[in-house]
Amino acid sequence: MSIPIWFGPAIVVLVCWGIAGLFQKLSTNHLSAETALVWLMVGFFLLDPWLYPQESILIYSRRSLVYALLSSFLNALGGWALLAAMKHGGKASIVVPFTALYPLVTVSLAPLLLHEAITLSQGAGVVCALIAVVLLST
Amino acid sequence: MQLPVVLKTKWFWYSVLSVFCMGGWTLLGKLGTTEISARTMQFLYPFGWIPVALACLWVRRFRIEKSALGIVYSTAIGVLGGMGGLAFFAACRTGGNTSAIVAATAMYPLITVVLAVLVLREKLTRLHVLGLVFAAAAFVLFSF
Repeated sequence: MSIPIWFGPAIVVLVCWGIAGLFQKLSTNHLSAETALVWLMVGFFLLDPWLYPQESILIYSRRSLVYALLSSFLNALGGWALLAAMKHGGKASIVVPFTALYPLVTVSLAPLLLHEAITLSQGAGVVCALIAVVLLST
Repeated sequence: MQLPVVLKTKWFWYSVLSVFCMGGWTLLGKLGTTEISARTMQFLYPFGWIPVALACLWVRRFRIEKSALGIVYSTAIGVLGGMGGLAFFAACRTGGNTSAIVAATAMYPLITVVLAVLVLREKLTRLHVLGLVFAAAAFVLFSF
């Protein structure tokens, strides 16, 4: 069995975002969702000196840059909604798995927007995700 | 017919909004990484957050709470989120199937749930546990 090349980075994502999920609840125990989001953005900017690109960003097409910025804008909006859900009484152990069902949207729209085929098992995954949403909401 | 109680809670609708926004984020992120490197994508990332952060400050009339602990936790989320984001874009750049990568990386709540039960002493009902099993099954199925 060969391990896909994207598996290594995916493990890093799991660990970082898994711990961040816990901190989301801890931060909204002390701050409003809005204030937490502002400081979260500060955390993002703290990494920027290390990520400063060697090339000029102007070499990229306007379309790609719009995708990048729009993507992060949606991520910010989603992040605020997640923090607001926790601030309004949602448990970390419920809200985090619930909001992580966003692949439902990705898998549904990927064939249309990215022209990537959806398999039968991915269709079954959509059904499982919907059942999970109902159970986690009880 | 009476609506389920959860539909009347704010946290549920905020969570639904988050699901749709995060779904859009993954799709647009993939489109961006077809040309832009993972490192530059993550560098650009905080700039897209500025309009939302300004809106948040405006909602709070530019008065924000000063809890040191809250600030440390929130900033740590940003740092961890940024590191995870860099790895996410790197995974997208490998050319793997977007649905598979998004589904595999979306398994992070399983770590959060374990930590929430251990650290925050949150309790889960049997239905919640069953929901987590279905969520895990969905993630696995998404990656095929």
